Amino acid sequence: MAEVTLHGVHKSYGELSVIKGVDLHVRDHEFMVFVGPSGCGKSTLLRMIAGLEEITDGELRIGGQVVNDLPPAQRGIAMVFQSYALYPHMTVYENMAFGLQLAKYPRDEIDRRVRNAGRILQIEHLLDRKPKALSGGQRQRVAIGRAIVREPKVFLFDEPLSNLDAALRIATRVEIANLHRDLKATLIYVTHDQVEAMTLADRIVVLNGGVIEQVGAPLELYHHPRNLFVAGFIGSPRMNFVEATVSGTGEAGVTVVLREVGTEITVPCAPGGVRPGDPVTFGIRPEHLAEDGTGAARIGGEVQVVERLGSETFLYVRMANGELLVVKAAGASRARPGDRISVGVLADDGFVFDGDGLALPAGPGRAPRELGTTRHEEMRGRPGPLLS
Amino acid sequence: MTDAAQPLGTPASRRPARRRGPRRDGLLTLYLYGAMILVACIVLVPLLTTALGGFKTLGELRTNPFGLPQEWIWSNYWDILTTERYWRMLGNSLVISSLTAFLTLAAGSMAAFTFAHLRFFGSGALLNYFLLGLMFPAATAVLPLFIRIRDLGLLDTYLGVVLPQVAFGLGMSILLFRNFFRNVPKDLLDAALVDGCGYVRYFWHITLPLSRPILATVGIVSFVNSWNNYILPLILLNTETKYPWPLGMMIYRGEFSTDWHLVLAFVTLTILPTIIVFFAAQKHIVAGLTAGAVKG
Repeated sequence: MAEVTLHGVHKSYGELSVIKGVDLHVRDHEFMVFVGPSGCGKSTLLRMIAGLEEITDGELRIGGQVVNDLPPAQRGIAMVFQSYALYPHMTVYENMAFGLQLAKYPRDEIDRRVRNAGRILQIEHLLDRKPKALSGGQRQRVAIGRAIVREPKVFLFDEPLSNLDAALRIATRVEIANLHRDLKATLIYVTHDQVEAMTLADRIVVLNGGVIEQVGAPLELYHHPRNLFVAGFIGSPRMNFVEATVSGTGEAGVTVVLREVGTEITVPCAPGGVRPGDPVTFGIRPEHLAEDGTGAARIGGEVQVVERLGSETFLYVRMANGELLVVKAAGASRARPGDRISVGVLADDGFVFDGDGLALPAGPGRAPRELGTTRHEEMRGRPGPLLS
Repeated sequence: MTDAAQPLGTPASRRPARRRGPRRDGLLTLYLYGAMILVACIVLVPLLTTALGGFKTLGELRTNPFGLPQEWIWSNYWDILTTERYWRMLGNSLVISSLTAFLTLAAGSMAAFTFAHLRFFGSGALLNYFLLGLMFPAATAVLPLFIRIRDLGLLDTYLGVVLPQVAFGLGMSILLFRNFFRNVPKDLLDAALVDGCGYVRYFWHITLPLSRPILATVGIVSFVNSWNNYILPLILLNTETKYPWPLGMMIYRGEFSTDWHLVLAFVTLTILPTIIVFFAAQKHIVAGLTAGAVKG
């Protein structure tokens, strides 16, 4: 078993607190991804699990054992760094064998593990080369190989794809997913790229300012963000937010009026603590706005910018309140800058956030959303509840 | 592709970058080459004059000090090379300089590694204390140094000369080593810690192999400084058989005070080892030893 459990974990540098009480349970064989903006503490949290940063307060368990005071090498982890961190004076073989040599493994066993990792990662022909003779992608494979040979309980990846170009990043992302499936290891992965997070993760931890905003499966975070931060962070382009006022509540949901725009929209969610007249924020994703005006409500505006990506087009529409609304349109959209259009709102997919920024719970009128199964559950061959 | 209602670029982004013309680049290169040739002449002319002077007769040296010898007199050099005194002094210098360089490298690198990677109470003050040593040349401490070495029973020994030289060289070597170690990517330390290294193993297996440029630099500086040191051997050594070459040079000049061609030959032969050491270590003083370690 290689579960990782954090109880009330804090990290402070003097007066500055960077991790403010994290409670988290990473399941055995799970692919857990930490995401968040720069400075949110995701890398610090990973380094605390690795043993490269001291834990100021709280308890960390790996495989059931408290490891707060254990050095990194004794925690049963292996780490892949963003910068590769290969030893430049050693060959690929020596880089991969170094940790095993320090642990005094027999030479035959070291050779077997290194060659096996080389075969898995298709770098057998590079074993005698030094890092400077490798491309970026090959160096990253060696860094992953160095982690594999240790046969750790938990793999830690610190933004491993950030230094690769776009094409290589996609290819390596697929390889990491395959690797996780083959190794059946617990894997904790830090990234600021939400595409990586959404495509790789069994569950995602969204961090902000040293606290966990939400933990959940990728589609759960997408469809049921707990608050404004998660709603804005997950999804690309980000969710549109418009200041609004509650005009009524009922069985159909909460009706809001967009300020300085005038559009009235009824969102199928439970009113919770909001009352008519309360200020709220209305949220709607670009893909839930229709360029052709179909939907429960309409928002008028002038097209400012058109981004054509081939398969889809993003329209930046200036509303009456002066703010921009991002609309996802078809690739063949004929909209041009300067056009006045009336954007349709698919209100069923909208969100209302109360004055504290918390999402109002989905009401009975909202259709259930397909969350899918996680790869973790697929691997184990049993679908299960996504929430822990 | 992006269509925009208003131009998105700023005027500054469309301004063409200012370029230097080829004429300006050519002049700059000319100045640089001129300056380098001037510096090379300042260094090389005295060296060549000394080496060539050793091949001349005394008379020719007076009439033609800078030109090539009319007749190459190899015996000036050969006579020195066949004396026991030359080899003895060379051996003394080699022992003292090598020991000094070795101990400076060992002590300086380990101390600098500590200052570069570990913070402990008073570490900053201790580092400054070491660096203060840069302000005091050996000549300012001759008397207390003599008394201390005498009390330690190291007068007239190689170690008595070596230890003060190491002490006076530590400030500079710690400064150079520390700056180098701090520039070794931090991720290498993290990777080594995950691999099972402690600080000692990291120093030995990772830092030192990556530090060949700075080891070569500090080693050469220590070796040459020790090789040329005159004042410390003068006050701390009494027996002529233990004299390094700067002291031997003075004796030799006293004996052959009028035979300047022989003195020049002697000087040329004594600086040869430092040139050999420099060229042997030069190949290690190359940039890019950390190439491939991290994303550059």
